Amino acid sequence: MKNAPLLKIEDLRTYFYSRSKQAFIRSVDGVNLEIRRGETLGVVGESGSGKSITALSVLGLISGGPGVIAGKILFGSNGEQKDLLDGLEGYVKIGREQNRIMQVSKDVLGWERRSDEVMRTIRGGEIAMIFQNPKASLNPFTPVGKQITEAIRLHTKITDAQEAAERAIYWLKRVKIDSPALRFDNYPFGLSGGMCQRAMIAMALACEPALLIADEPTTGLDATIQSKIVDLLAELKSELGTTTMLISHDISVISRLSDSVVVMYGGTVVEYGPVRDILTASISSKHPYTSALLASIPGEEHVRDKVALQAIEGDVLDTINIPAGCRFYARCNRVTPKIRENCERREPDLREIAPGHRARCWLYFD
Amino acid sequence: MRLSGLRPIALVLTREVMITVLLLLGVSFVVFVILYLAPGDPFSMLVEGQVQSEEARAGAREALGFSQSWYSQYFSWVTQMLQGDFGTSIRTGLPVASELVFVGFNTLILTIGSMLVTLLIAVPIALYSSVRGTTALSWPLTMFAYVVSALPVFWLGYIVIYIFMHRFGLFPLMTSSSRGFSWLYALLPIVVLGVGNGTISEVIRSLRDEMGRVMSEDYIRTARAKGASVWKHSFKEGFLIPVTEIIAAKIPFILGGAVIVEQVFNWPGMGRMAWQAAQDRDFPVIMGIAMLAAVFVRMGSMFQRVVYVMVNPRASKE
Ligand SMILES: Nc1ncnc2c1ncn2[C@@H]1O[C@H](COP(=O)(O)OP(=O)(O)O)[C@@H](O)[C@H]1O
Ligand code: SF4
Ligand SMILES: [Mg+2]
Repeated sequence: MKNAPLLKIEDLRTYFYSRSKQAFIRSVDGVNLEIRRGETLGVVGESGSGKSITALSVLGLISGGPGVIAGKILFGSNGEQKDLLDGLEGYVKIGREQNRIMQVSKDVLGWERRSDEVMRTIRGGEIAMIFQNPKASLNPFTPVGKQITEAIRLHTKITDAQEAAERAIYWLKRVKIDSPALRFDNYPFGLSGGMCQRAMIAMALACEPALLIADEPTTGLDATIQSKIVDLLAELKSELGTTTMLISHDISVISRLSDSVVVMYGGTVVEYGPVRDILTASISSKHPYTSALLASIPGEEHVRDKVALQAIEGDVLDTINIPAGCRFYARCNRVTPKIRENCERREPDLREIAPGHRARCWLYFD
Repeated sequence: MRLSGLRPIALVLTREVMITVLLLLGVSFVVFVILYLAPGDPFSMLVEGQVQSEEARAGAREALGFSQSWYSQYFSWVTQMLQGDFGTSIRTGLPVASELVFVGFNTLILTIGSMLVTLLIAVPIALYSSVRGTTALSWPLTMFAYVVSALPVFWLGYIVIYIFMHRFGLFPLMTSSSRGFSWLYALLPIVVLGVGNGTISEVIRSLRDEMGRVMSEDYIRTARAKGASVWKHSFKEGFLIPVTEIIAAKIPFILGGAVIVEQVFNWPGMGRMAWQAAQDRDFPVIMGIAMLAAVFVRMGSMFQRVVYVMVNPRASKE
């Protein structure tokens, strides 16, 4: 049990049904990953690759639209492993006609009730989440201190209001907010974006969660603020060692903070392994999509010599009409004649190509 | 609430009171001029066929204060009003001010009560459909609300009177004396106005839209992510603000409905009094009621502003 991963996602599928197109949008389409206790798992990929939806699925926060969720989300809490999707499949009914999905009906209330039941002790307490756009993520009508206090009283042994407030101020100090006692009474609109994100981090960590999910914690902030938030996260990581799932499309953020990395493309994991194997540009045995992502980072030489950025050519995958072969085929520049037929026709699976390093690409399969 | 929170409220109240004073002056002036220009004055209504000689007519006019120029009449009315004196009713000879307190109170009960009835019906439907989206039940519920909102209030009133009183004899029919006020009897007009004031569908629509919008805000997702109550976090923006806004905006409509309901149910309120006074050309009473109605409308808006400032931390900075 000790060595079991804290979170293990098995073949997670989160689909949305588009009424107008009468088809599923397959936002997350068979994701497998695991997070070991104490490690930070970076999740990287272009926008739209399904990173956020994966995270939101873990917390059961997908409620809008007739979403379908399948697979297993195994979370090791209090010495037992619990499937966070347990019992949810019964609430969705799919009507088919001649192999086309004609209608999807979801008992939203029942689904939510079941999810709330499973997640009651988990949300906020065992798994905490911080989001992109911290200013909008805090309640604009409540002072930040009160929002943190609320979380503390919900999820820790502290129930006394005064004591919880002191604890909240302690955490505001811990995330390096100046004059925390004064900031405690501020409303989000009186704080900068960076400060709001610090407050969000304080709110998340104040409940001492087993897992922290940070979805694009620096995106949308000014560059200098971004690096300060990354510094803070790095510091908290070394002090607290909280198991973290860090989502970002920014490879520099991921490589600085992560131990392992998952690269997502078109709703699937295309590469998975230790950060040094995956995000070091000089190591060539990696998924072509990861190579293309790394080539698109504005490195120092780009800034110095004003070399044009090499964006990945082609469009992000259409998650309604998924091709039969490799999802990256249309954009891949490393297809060889030997594997072309495979690339075009058959989807590669995620296979170990080196110890602890898995990739989903025909190049590495014999 | 800490003391610093009271300052913005005081500011808002001061501003609102000033607006109210200006509005009252404006309304009184307009009403006065209309009354002055309208054919027929209380004098001719009162004395018609009774006072024959020109001399006696002039004497009576003098006594009633109708011989002065219109602006000095208006000026003396305003001065007296500012001292709380609204003159005496030409019809009854009683001071208008005390009549206003009586009818104002009755209309206030009718208005507030009917608003509560409206909310009691509209809020559950709105919340149900904002949370559940379009379901098998939300459609008929909303349809029901729209149909009910379209019923004319006088028609509803007569139907209710017919059914409850004549068919079932449930409530004692009120006699012309306005005493013998029973709360059971009071309930009927309140419910009729609450259902028939035409605002149920609007309350549903505005509340459902606002609640639905707020439910998809990022901070509500945060509330869910931290395991807190979504209702608690959406209450201020999704419920309190839209409800007070719509109440404030609908008070003029409800007062209009009250005039009819008071007629139908013989409710001793300002609507019925205004109706009577208009027929009598009872100038002081009409003026007084115009003032009272304006005050009611302003009170709704004041209430809304105060709630908004109390709830919204930004408002004090605006
Ligand atoms: N409620 C929804 N209904 C339909 N499609 C959605 C919904 N939410 C997300 N998607 C789609 O799912 C895909 C993955 O989204 P997301 O996980 O947010 O990507 P990212 O990797 O940028 O976080 C996107 O193409 C998005 O359009
Ligand atoms: S499987 Fe083929 S198309 Fe897909 S990434 Fe590998 S080489 Fe490219
Ligand atoms: Mg995202």
